[in-house]
Amino acid sequence: PQGAMTPGIPIFSPMMPYGTGLTPQPIQNTNSLSILEEQQRQQQQQQQAQAQQQAQQQAQQQAQQQQQQQQAVAAVQQSASQQATQGASGQTPQLFHSQTLTTAPLPGTTPLYPSPMTPMTPITPATPASESSGIVPQLQNIVSTVNLGCKLDLKTIALRARNAEYNPKRFAAVIMRIREPRTTALIFSSGKMVCTGAKSEEQSRLAARKYARVVQKLGFPAKFLDFKIQNMVGSCDVKFPIRLEGLVLTHQQFSSYEPELFPGLIYRMIKPRIVLLIFVSGKVVLTGAKVRAEIYEAFENIYPILKGFRKTT
Amino acid sequence: MPGGGHCPDCGSTELVEDSHYSQSQLVCSDCGCVVTEGVLTTTFSDEGNLREVTYSRSTGENDQVSRSQQRGLRRVRDLCRVLQLPSTFEDTAVAYYQQAYRHSGIRAARLQKKEVLVGCCVLITCRQHNWPLTMGTICTLLYADLDVFSGTYMQIVKLLGLDVPSLCLADLVKTYCSSFRLFQASPSVPATYVEDKEKMLSRTLQLVELADETWLVTGRHPLPVITAATFLAWQSLRPAHRLTCSLARFCKVANVELPCPAASRLQELLAVLLRMAEQLAWLRVLQLDKRSVVKHIGDLLQHRHTLVREAFREGPVGLEAGEEEPRGQCGGPGQGKEEVASGSCGLPVGKRPASPALLLPPCMLKPPKRACPPPPVSTVTGDENISDSEIEQYLRTPQEVKDFEKAQAARQDARSVSNPP
Repeated sequence: PQGAMTPGIPIFSPMMPYGTGLTPQPIQNTNSLSILEEQQRQQQQQQQAQAQQQAQQQAQQQAQQQQQQQQAVAAVQQSASQQATQGASGQTPQLFHSQTLTTAPLPGTTPLYPSPMTPMTPITPATPASESSGIVPQLQNIVSTVNLGCKLDLKTIALRARNAEYNPKRFAAVIMRIREPRTTALIFSSGKMVCTGAKSEEQSRLAARKYARVVQKLGFPAKFLDFKIQNMVGSCDVKFPIRLEGLVLTHQQFSSYEPELFPGLIYRMIKPRIVLLIFVSGKVVLTGAKVRAEIYEAFENIYPILKGFRKTT
Repeated sequence: MPGGGHCPDCGSTELVEDSHYSQSQLVCSDCGCVVTEGVLTTTFSDEGNLREVTYSRSTGENDQVSRSQQRGLRRVRDLCRVLQLPSTFEDTAVAYYQQAYRHSGIRAARLQKKEVLVGCCVLITCRQHNWPLTMGTICTLLYADLDVFSGTYMQIVKLLGLDVPSLCLADLVKTYCSSFRLFQASPSVPATYVEDKEKMLSRTLQLVELADETWLVTGRHPLPVITAATFLAWQSLRPAHRLTCSLARFCKVANVELPCPAASRLQELLAVLLRMAEQLAWLRVLQLDKRSVVKHIGDLLQHRHTLVREAFREGPVGLEAGEEEPRGQCGGPGQGKEEVASGSCGLPVGKRPASPALLLPPCMLKPPKRACPPPPVSTVTGDENISDSEIEQYLRTPQEVKDFEKAQAARQDARSVSNPP
């Protein structure tokens, strides 16, 4: 549209195959691999003045102009994709020469990485932050559920607990709050409970246990079954303004930007399956994650895209 | 199929009652042979009771379509006609509505939602043809709530997997400006307020582009910006008579509703123009304020690209404004000399152009409302021991429980007293 785009918006160079239906990081589901990919990109950026994103894409798909590292990456890709189904890491990766790596192997993984195990262990934030964007999203809210395993009488709970509110006409659950960690719980008569407001997975688990203990002390045989984190919300600030109109043009299939309805752009990333709210001030909200690593990975994916929309004088 | 029927041609028993307009016929569904047919002509007395069969009824297309869907499709067509859209839009919108109706979630939705769905289909059609139609207009026409509309709109775009382009700003400006009743004198419009449409349109477009470039449009509703730009354009075309007119009065005279945020957009736009005016020496000496800058909008717009580039910068403050290389010609031969002179011979600070401001969206320029302390690093493992005393603080003592029950009972009595059975 004529008026909406200012002259001089840097549209991506045609070499960057964005919009192919995948996120710019068409990588397998291993976080360790994604972090290493980031580091590798940095290396290549020092070697050649190529676009960081381009190297990322080329590495995975074509291995064209790059050196043996690219081919080695491709080799690991194939081995990783084979192993992804098997779930075992038996091959020594030829690629990652020790001098190209600047960080120690991640805690909890074997030195023979990338071991393409499922990303269950939350990656410590230190590694992804320093190398690539330098920004770590902060977790703002964790929603978890747990089954107390017994039927509950909500009227009794509301009567005998100080921190409970119960309005059966409005909502069919008791709303209970505790001070430390500062959280809110919805306790249903079936014995299921939802815990919201914690800032980390461990805090959420501790809070859920405290609620279960309160219910226990009120005389119910409460257990602590099937604790599961359902949703994690994180936020961060890239500290530069973003042209949302441009972003929605280049990433149409992922973005939804309706300024008449909401001031932010809603970006639905496919891999990992995260929804990002991107605002003109550069603040980004990430939600929909089941594990912390998904939030970090999603932000590392979106950061190069957002940088592409930063005006350079 | 009706028992005993055989097709004389192919012998199959698959005979179907298929009327052809007003004539009932029994047709073989295999070979198409007409087995029997009803009477084509009618007697005089019969004809008195007959009614014309519309095409849509005779083709049987409405037999599969439910009544509520038919109603919705009629509403879609009506809405397209009210908005005076081209006829191709009508077919597209109807197709979208039918497509949406195939989903069970839509079929089972409330009537309010189905009504709003009509507007969504029309809006999507218009957007895809770059026809500038705002959601506010549709909500007004449908008497719908914007919240309900937005929910249904987002849902239907996701459900049908549609690619809806953004609202085209330039077209919206043209359409919206044309709706201002200022182009002809009338009892409500004084002669000095009447303006030429083309001039106003072109100046408004330039102002909107300026707003877009300086981050006043991204993330905001487009209409208030256009209202503010139209007002400034109109004022600047004849400032002598129009400076006294306020934004609210302008909208009233022009018979256009004033959107709430337009006033703050106006202030933001004036601030941008003032910054640009600082870069022109002959305007700098005039010490312009928000009212007087309107007189010079024409000049400012003429050189807006250069002025924006010089008045604003992307990065942090680096050099002093005077130490920068002499600026290029902007607006007059005497200009360049003056600026170079001001830079090199060190005129007092007041005479030098202001150091460039940051070109950022207003939300980034405002100071943060509250300081956000970094979250404390928590060493919680989730498996700590939970002390009994900590849990006890959340439980009522037996005395408290008794008191609470008493209070509840008292409240119940009070309520039953006030509502006698």
